[in-house]
Amino acid sequence: MAIRSGRTGRVRWSPSGAGTPADLVEIISLNAWTLSLRTDFEEVTAFGDNNKVYIPGMRDISGTVGGFYNGSELALVRATEETEPGLLELSPNDIDGNLSGTPADLPMHYSGLAYLDCEINCSLAAPRITGNFRAAGSWTLPNQEVA
Amino acid sequence: MRLGSDATLLGLCPNGVYYQEAPEGAKQFVIVSLVEEHDEGTFEQRGFEDALYMVEARMASTAGGNIQAAAARIDALLEDVPIEAAGFHAMACFRESRLRMTEVDDADPSIRWFRRGGMYRVQVSLV
Repeated sequence: MAIRSGRTGRVRWSPSGAGTPADLVEIISLNAWTLSLRTDFEEVTAFGDNNKVYIPGMRDISGTVGGFYNGSELALVRATEETEPGLLELSPNDIDGNLSGTPADLPMHYSGLAYLDCEINCSLAAPRITGNFRAAGSWTLPNQEVA
Repeated sequence: MRLGSDATLLGLCPNGVYYQEAPEGAKQFVIVSLVEEHDEGTFEQRGFEDALYMVEARMASTAGGNIQAAAARIDALLEDVPIEAAGFHAMACFRESRLRMTEVDDADPSIRWFRRGGMYRVQVSLV
């Protein structure tokens, strides 16, 4: 493993929420994604402690995808119409394999059911599109399953 | 291509349209120069190319001519008329700023060179 460029990253989406990689289609013209795994912490400081003490709560799965608005690629726009979650897959590059090795031909990725919304920002420059997602089920992270 | 094949512009600048450098002896011509260019990436490929060109008519004071009309013709040919190129999709072509200046000829100080045109932003998409 090494630090890789995100140039070969990708975002794939299946609005039907079907669970196989074959159902996923790359959303073109994107150049960024973020994934938040922030965890809520509950303070459990007690008498006698020398500092505040916390215990972790549930980990969040949410984030953004973004890039340039492309009139021939409306997957993000269509996703806002869905009433059922779709399957979202985020890959940081196409070089690193999935640590779990299953399936071996896929790059390392983070995936799971999600709801997406989107925002289009049009100015005199190239219009941009941004999508926000929230987990709608358990996600698969590299080398592990998120319960 | 668009500039070099336009009869009206060539009528105003009969020596022609050139990239970077005009031939010696030319007195009324158009020069196109690439000022800067950058590419905008998308995942797994180049998204689009964004270039700034300086496009200007140049005329020697001894040659006469209507440099104002030449600059206006350049603008009519380029402003909001996206550039079509094989392998690309046209995005935009527009003037970002106007150019107007006068220079003294290096060899003969009695000659002035009039320069008019603009800085044109050209954007073409690969996807």
